[in-house]
Amino acid sequence: MEFPVSMVIVRRVKPLPYWIVPLLALLIGVAVAIIILYGMSGGKTTPADVLYAIRDGFLQPHLLAMSFAFLSIVGVGLVVSFKGALFNIGGEGQIYFGAMLAVWAAMFAPFSASLINGGPLGVAALKTLMIVLSALAGAFWAFIASLPRAYLQLDEVPVTLMMNYIAYYIVDILVRGPWHERKYGYLRTETLPEKLWLKTISGTTFSIEVYILLIIVFVAAYFFLKYTTPGLYLRVLGNNPNLLRSSGINIKLIIMIALTISGLIIGLVGAGYIAGRTHNLSYPVEEKTANYGYTGILVAWLSMLELIAVPIAAYIIAALYNAGINMQIAGAGGAATVFVFIGSILVTYTALITISEYKIKIIVKRRGG
Amino acid sequence: MRNITKRFPGVVALDRVNLEVYPGTIHALLGENGAGKSTLVKILYGIYTPDEGVIILNGRRVIISSPIDAINYGIVMVSQSPQLIDRLTIAENIILGLKKYGYYAPVKLVEREISKLAEEFGVKIDPSTDTWKLSYTQKQMVEFIRAMLLGVKILLIDEALTYLPIEERRRFYKFIKGFAERGGTVLLITHKIPEAMEAADKITVLRRGRVVKTVEKTEVTIDDIRRMMFGERSKEITYERLPPGAPDGELLLVENLWVEGDFGGYAVQGVSLKVRRGEVFAIAGVAGNGQKELLQAIMGLRPIRKGKVFFEGEDITHRSTYYLRLKGVGYIPDLPAKYGVSIENTIIENIAVIPVYARGFIDWDKIRSLALKLIREYDIKTPSPEAPVKYLSGGNIMKVLVSRELNTATKLLVAYNPTRALDEATAIRVRRIIKNKVINDNIGALIASEDLDEIFQIADTIAVMNSGRIVGVFPAEKAKREEIEHLMVM
Ligand SMILES: Nc1ncnc2c1ncn2[C@@H]1O[C@H](COP(=O)(O)OP(=O)(O)OP(=O)(O)O)[C@@H](O)[C@H]1O
Ligand SMILES: [Mg+2]
Repeated sequence: MEFPVSMVIVRRVKPLPYWIVPLLALLIGVAVAIIILYGMSGGKTTPADVLYAIRDGFLQPHLLAMSFAFLSIVGVGLVVSFKGALFNIGGEGQIYFGAMLAVWAAMFAPFSASLINGGPLGVAALKTLMIVLSALAGAFWAFIASLPRAYLQLDEVPVTLMMNYIAYYIVDILVRGPWHERKYGYLRTETLPEKLWLKTISGTTFSIEVYILLIIVFVAAYFFLKYTTPGLYLRVLGNNPNLLRSSGINIKLIIMIALTISGLIIGLVGAGYIAGRTHNLSYPVEEKTANYGYTGILVAWLSMLELIAVPIAAYIIAALYNAGINMQIAGAGGAATVFVFIGSILVTYTALITISEYKIKIIVKRRGG
Repeated sequence: MRNITKRFPGVVALDRVNLEVYPGTIHALLGENGAGKSTLVKILYGIYTPDEGVIILNGRRVIISSPIDAINYGIVMVSQSPQLIDRLTIAENIILGLKKYGYYAPVKLVEREISKLAEEFGVKIDPSTDTWKLSYTQKQMVEFIRAMLLGVKILLIDEALTYLPIEERRRFYKFIKGFAERGGTVLLITHKIPEAMEAADKITVLRRGRVVKTVEKTEVTIDDIRRMMFGERSKEITYERLPPGAPDGELLLVENLWVEGDFGGYAVQGVSLKVRRGEVFAIAGVAGNGQKELLQAIMGLRPIRKGKVFFEGEDITHRSTYYLRLKGVGYIPDLPAKYGVSIENTIIENIAVIPVYARGFIDWDKIRSLALKLIREYDIKTPSPEAPVKYLSGGNIMKVLVSRELNTATKLLVAYNPTRALDEATAIRVRRIIKNKVINDNIGALIASEDLDEIFQIADTIAVMNSGRIVGVFPAEKAKREEIEHLMVM
């Protein structure tokens, strides 16, 4: 039997100028958030409250410093893969797989104790090791996800998404089982030795170590995309893979390299998050996560996949996130407040990008006539 | 159209252009690559808005700001690449654009109308066929039928016939003549000047964004038109045979090759051939007789089921494209815009993507100076080597590809229709460059082309391909055109 209605989506002949979409998404998204918050609070949270909160959110760089840096790193990692039209939405898994290895190195590895007690040099070595292992773990996790994409042409979106849950699951098992602290009986690991914490300037979340990392990531990603052939092939891959084939480039290899590098960068945040924020892993991780892996997607989209714009987008998102927290603390709207901004911008962005690039047409077929 | 001006960053694409077209005429719009032809019809079709100037339709000023507006005014464009949606049937694709039935389209009625129009083309077609099963020619036909059903009054044809085999082109010309006789207007863009002379009633020549002249066909000769189009360069236009190569020593050897086509079945059935150094080995044939698949298989882009390929005596049957590229093989594919360039990337990026120019790290200064050299040698019209390729005119995009591949071909050039989309003067220039490389650098060239003028001008050896087989091989100086034509279609 034939379906009497068919819907087709066609690309627009004239797409909108590309910077309009992120800008509109932000404005409309905030407007939607204001309406939702107004409704949720039964009229108690006025638009003015929200706007003040947003202003304050932007004006607290000392509080944003760390989440801004993490979001920027994730954003850069995602841009690397998105440029090749490889939609790595497995950031969460890559972060947690990284965090897992960082925690292992810090507390459970054969070398952990001796390095911590090995003076400043030992501590520095252990910190470095945490970061390197975290990155490698993220890379490994993304590399696994790249295989079905490269060899079976399986869409990477569901694959990377599923890998997030597997990573959560593995970490949960460790935290409930062998890594679980004994002193108080909570379902969490012991706290990271204080020597391994990221040092922040007091009263702020600014850590020089994180910023050094961010700068290295930024420069390396820029160099990779601009000056290496895999970087170039990746940028061509997102536009026309046929040209790569005619040129003799191994597309499978490029897909694997791109996702792996993306995971390598994002994995760094795993160690950073443990050493800078939570200082432990606690069960169930999927409820405790800061969701940088997902929020980073919004950062990448808002940056229009331009590396230079990533910090700007990351700052905006970190500020809105911060505004949400401020309002939550002030008692407006409860825990969901934080996600209202992020959610409404993401939805608006998706809607706008669809409207700007595609038109939906519906054909109702009437037999006979 | 009055005083139309359109500027793009770095160029004035159209400079105070005036153009009048009348019902019942076929009006050819001619000009060298980058002259502004496509820009002009895109303005009529609402894709671009002019910076200055007005469009007057039946005595009234109109503003066309989108293709939807254009279609409402009865203006429809057909371009080189069909815009059909693969998973819909022909009828559904056509219904998609039809407003007159609202949401409830009477499918049967539309199907009948499609069949009727197809008959006018002299072909039978089932309107409920899925579009992906259609050949390129059939898709283009559907585009024309759609235009008719949209109630077209002014039909814009931007090189839409360029890729069609010659007999099919004749069918399309007959069809548009019929349309014009019923009072329709056709604005025809093509680089085949003799065909334009044959089909058109009036001709407007554009050069560097300006109208050179609008003439009645009967007032002018082909040479007048060429002079208007190219100025001094028109002297270079000749279809005489270029100096012969000096074939010597075997370079590429293909033995009993069997290659599958896209839809199952063998597209190449036991082809053997030999290309020597210092030789242009040309394959004549109607499109779709296995030439494309043969070249792809040699390039390592399509699996070889049976048979062998040797390059410089080495068995390369299952070698990768990468391997051949590094050996100095240039490749100009079929459907160049789809397989040969990435239009969203810049010119220099489109060059650096060939492995011989960059491995590991990219020396952009080196690539840039190569790009500048190619831009100069091939007269590529672009504001800079860093311009995205999509901002170039159709012919200039082809020049980017052709110049890059000729430069890559230090031993062998494998090419499919290397000069299509190029204007006459440039096409002949490219053939000369190829021939010079073959003679001076002692490379080999394997060129498949549907254009017999091209084949006779450039070839040292001519083979004819038909239904997946080589049905004749001739030394060019002994080949007879009638015989080749006969072998192509028998
Ligand atoms: N979107 C664009 N952005 C910038 N420049 C453009 C754009 N489209 C066309 N141009 C420039 O305008 C000029 C005219 O281009 P147009 O495509 O109209 O040429 P054409 O006559 O159709 O040539 P061809 O025979 O090669 O197709 C060219 O110099 C081209 O580079
Ligand atoms: Mg054009």
